[in-house]
Amino acid sequence: MAALETSRGTTLRNAFGNVFSFFILILIGVLAFSIRLFSVIKYESVIHEFDPYFNYRVTQFLTKSGIYEFWNWFDDRTWYPLGRVIGGTVYPGLTLTAGTIWWLLNSLNIPLSVETVCVFTAPIFSAFASWATYLLTKEVKGTGAGLTAAALLAMVPSYISRSVAGSYDNEAVAIFALIFTFYLYIKTLNTGSLFYATLNAIAYFYMVCSWGGYTFIINLIPMHVLLCIVTGRYSSRLYVAYAPLVVLGTLLASLVPVVGFNAVMTSEHFASFLVFIIIHVVALVYYIKGVLSEKMFKVAVTLILSLGAIVCCAVIAVLIALVASSPTMGWSGRSLSLLDPTYASKYIPIIASVSEHQPPTWPSYFMDINVLAFLVPAGIIACFSPLSDASSFVVLYIVTSVYFSGVMVRLMLVLAPAACIMSGIALSEAFEVFTRSIKFQLPGSSVHSQVDVGVKSSENSLPQNDVAKTDKTEDTLKERPSRKNRKKEKEPVAVEKPSVRSKIEKKLLVLPLEASIISIFLLVLLGAFYVVHCVWAAAEAYSAPSIVLTSHSHDGLHVFDDFREAYAWLSHNTEVDDKVASWWDYGYQTTAMANRTVIVDNNTWNNTHIATVGTAMSSPEKAAWEIFNSLDVKYVLVVFGGLVGYPSDDINKFLWMVRIGGGVFPHIKEPDYLKDGQYRIDSEATPTMLNCLMYKLSYYRFVETDGKAFDRVRRTEIGKKHFKLTHFEEVFTTHHWMVRIYKLKPPKNRIRGKTKKSKSKSSGTTTKRSRSGKKNPWH
Amino acid sequence: MASSGTLTHLFFIVAIFSSSSFNVFSDSGADRVSELLDLQSRSTSGVIHLDDDSVSRFLTSAKTPRPYSLVIFFDAVQLHDKHELHLQELRNEFAIVTNSFITNNQDPSSPSHAKIFFCDIEFKESQTSFSLFGVNALPHIRLIGPNHGLKNSDQMDQGDFARLAESMAEFIESKTKLSIGPIHRPPILSKKQLIFATIAWLIWMPFLIKKILSGKTLLHDPKIWLSGAVFIYFFSVSGAMHNIIRKMPMFLADRGDPSKLIFFYQGSGMQLGAEGFAIGFLYTIVGLLLALVTRVLIKVRNVTVQRLVMIFALFVSFWAVKKVVYLDNWKTGYGVHAFWPSSWS
Repeated sequence: MAALETSRGTTLRNAFGNVFSFFILILIGVLAFSIRLFSVIKYESVIHEFDPYFNYRVTQFLTKSGIYEFWNWFDDRTWYPLGRVIGGTVYPGLTLTAGTIWWLLNSLNIPLSVETVCVFTAPIFSAFASWATYLLTKEVKGTGAGLTAAALLAMVPSYISRSVAGSYDNEAVAIFALIFTFYLYIKTLNTGSLFYATLNAIAYFYMVCSWGGYTFIINLIPMHVLLCIVTGRYSSRLYVAYAPLVVLGTLLASLVPVVGFNAVMTSEHFASFLVFIIIHVVALVYYIKGVLSEKMFKVAVTLILSLGAIVCCAVIAVLIALVASSPTMGWSGRSLSLLDPTYASKYIPIIASVSEHQPPTWPSYFMDINVLAFLVPAGIIACFSPLSDASSFVVLYIVTSVYFSGVMVRLMLVLAPAACIMSGIALSEAFEVFTRSIKFQLPGSSVHSQVDVGVKSSENSLPQNDVAKTDKTEDTLKERPSRKNRKKEKEPVAVEKPSVRSKIEKKLLVLPLEASIISIFLLVLLGAFYVVHCVWAAAEAYSAPSIVLTSHSHDGLHVFDDFREAYAWLSHNTEVDDKVASWWDYGYQTTAMANRTVIVDNNTWNNTHIATVGTAMSSPEKAAWEIFNSLDVKYVLVVFGGLVGYPSDDINKFLWMVRIGGGVFPHIKEPDYLKDGQYRIDSEATPTMLNCLMYKLSYYRFVETDGKAFDRVRRTEIGKKHFKLTHFEEVFTTHHWMVRIYKLKPPKNRIRGKTKKSKSKSSGTTTKRSRSGKKNPWH
Repeated sequence: MASSGTLTHLFFIVAIFSSSSFNVFSDSGADRVSELLDLQSRSTSGVIHLDDDSVSRFLTSAKTPRPYSLVIFFDAVQLHDKHELHLQELRNEFAIVTNSFITNNQDPSSPSHAKIFFCDIEFKESQTSFSLFGVNALPHIRLIGPNHGLKNSDQMDQGDFARLAESMAEFIESKTKLSIGPIHRPPILSKKQLIFATIAWLIWMPFLIKKILSGKTLLHDPKIWLSGAVFIYFFSVSGAMHNIIRKMPMFLADRGDPSKLIFFYQGSGMQLGAEGFAIGFLYTIVGLLLALVTRVLIKVRNVTVQRLVMIFALFVSFWAVKKVVYLDNWKTGYGVHAFWPSSWS
């Protein structure tokens, strides 16, 4: 249609389209931001779960002490008595981002608290991520596909699950960084501009700062480069896109302390170096091909081939030797379990046991990418006709990510953007075809039809807009290349011609009118279902902060705020330097909210230390007291859900404590805690179970609540109801008994007189204490 | 000379005495050992096949202490097709232990030589032996030491054959105090095959490079890449990885009614093989049909064909989406609902 219209009309329409898509993008950003606010509306502006609390604490430290202090921060509040070097062991991207936002806002005299900034970082970055998706998809298939993909990404449930307001974790910014890096790579590939190549390396650096998943990029891009070379698509643009990324990217990556020399030492990065060598060999071949005549070239090929083969063999031999010298072949356990899916289940129980490392079943796909799962194959096919460098990259992206997501449910997050891009391409193409069929067959003017189909007509006009754009890029390209790629120039022209021809033909290619109308209706219905599902997922499935719990019952809404109650109690009623022992799940929260030193936390880097706590929890009172006392522990915190029916409490996690403890200290044996292979806490339970510290601390005085001591999680009456604590005393139990805090009794004093004195002093401070004090051997 | 003569005499007397005492014993000892050795050499895998008669010959009627220990693998051919029992797998591992033991202790002077014999019993032909041992569940591996009766012999626990041949050997070594030695596994590729493959690869390499350079391989055909990509997509969304890692069966037999088969498992943590592939197919077919309509059908000139194919595609797609939504709600129990304004209801 462009041919029929005047040039003035076209520019006007283009301008209109650009303004229109700009506003659509803003709306998409608003959508991405606001769909993630359900958690704030339904609960409150609070940091979620466990890991985000650590990130929050680090951000607080950063904003208080500045970047240099942060870099050298040795944290003595955790892993007592070992401590932890924070600056060198975290991915600083998220923290620095939120810190910068906070600093910027404050210097603009907008006094937001650090917590508020942290809570809203993830929604802000999901808006960025959807814009990055727009850019990436636009590079591949045009503006229409870009807008559709961005809208899909703004509300894809898989991404929402990691980026609702309050879930302040690495993935929140990393997905944006991932997509943006891919966009810049494609942009460089399409333009051959060194400027974008440099930006690409910087975006890659940001990704390395943010998330361990950067290895996906540094393996996917070399794979694509290799694919291009093998299928004969080498061009100087490919070289510009790849070589600077490897050189600059690797240099920048090794600046991040947590990565450091890993960027050149571990096998995850070797693929990029190998491809780096290959692309140079290929570039040399192409150069020589351009310089020499046909005959000379054939001679040269044999020469270069034999020479290159020798060099390659030598390099490969060195690489293999390097890789083979390390025990796991230089690959980390997680990466290995991706390559060989059965690896983890065979050799690494710790990885296999984590729920987000499980392989997903088909409902997970429906839950996390919903109807996109139906549209992706159409997108793949659309990317193959015609196959360009950019579209082959997104195909590679979806294929690898869908495979990885099949191995580990957690990597569904990496699949989500790819699925959105593919579905965006498929949807916009389908809309284009159907609306065109309607437009050219509808009786009456084309203006009428344009009003009819609304948004879709704008999409319809956009591909041609894109063609104009690629024209432009080709133009700029033609100026650039020198003798080197004389041959290459032929290619784009050859690609260009059929696309022009097909544009003319397009007008004739239509589908029956009524069937098109039904198709459009069904596609809109599909989209509506997607929206309903996403809103539901955001509101119901992924918004619970898990620090504040709610339950609906017939008499209304109940809020359980016991965790914060307990942490507040700790911070107000204990000494600053007191040590608190709990299972590692609650380590981050305790340090962040109560500001007390913990023994173990969610950064599970020291298995022995965790096993020590596990052993203490599974030992009888006296042995446990000795272990805790040797660690200077003053308070022990247990989470107990038996009264309100909170299923993920310590009794349910207890077998893991036994297993992990038994793994290091063999006197703890799992069968001692199981009755005929069953884990139970009722009267049939084993004596070891009934006498271990975890049982006692959880169920101490439980019988006083209802007289029967009925555990609502295990749905049974507990085995041992009346008992006294000898070495611990209860100091605090929260409103719903979800968190119980105990204090270690002071060690027995050898002088009788002094014991009496201390007894008279301590008696009467709490009623609970005097009750348990009678039979206490320490007094 | 004389002294040496008496010595030889003495030696002879001792020899005769010992041999006669040996003969007295032989009915229960040496004879049986040589018989077992003979059986062992006749068997290809080194595992002696026992039946009811030989069980009574070597175990029940032989007086304790026997000069040998028997390790018996209880096998049942009719259960070989039940893969969750891993009978065949364990039988192979058992044969590997047997072979390793025989090769490690070939030398008659070694202390473990001919002290342990590895046997198997088949359920169908030796049901009485199964009941003699009190075996009512498989897999079952039993070690009958020199002093053991049938029932008080040591049974290998699940944990002992969990790590296959190595753990079986450990178990036997700990119980008998005899050494089995390192386990020899047959290599996956024999050396000759490996050399052959390398040579073939080296010869093929230049041709491959030439083909790649000239751009005439399958790799240059986008159709191959396309079908590969769609297949990997289908494979992954069907949850096949889950089935491989968890070793899920294709379907289950109904507990209440064994003639019925269960293809769909309720509960989102698990899926069956056939179920996964069925849903994976539904996931894929919609996109393929959409691509068919927008890419291929649009070039067809005949309007009736276009119309018919489109109606068919629409119908199938609608049905597939509806089916998946229904099955998902059934399987996970989630009630996805919209948030309409409260005044609407």
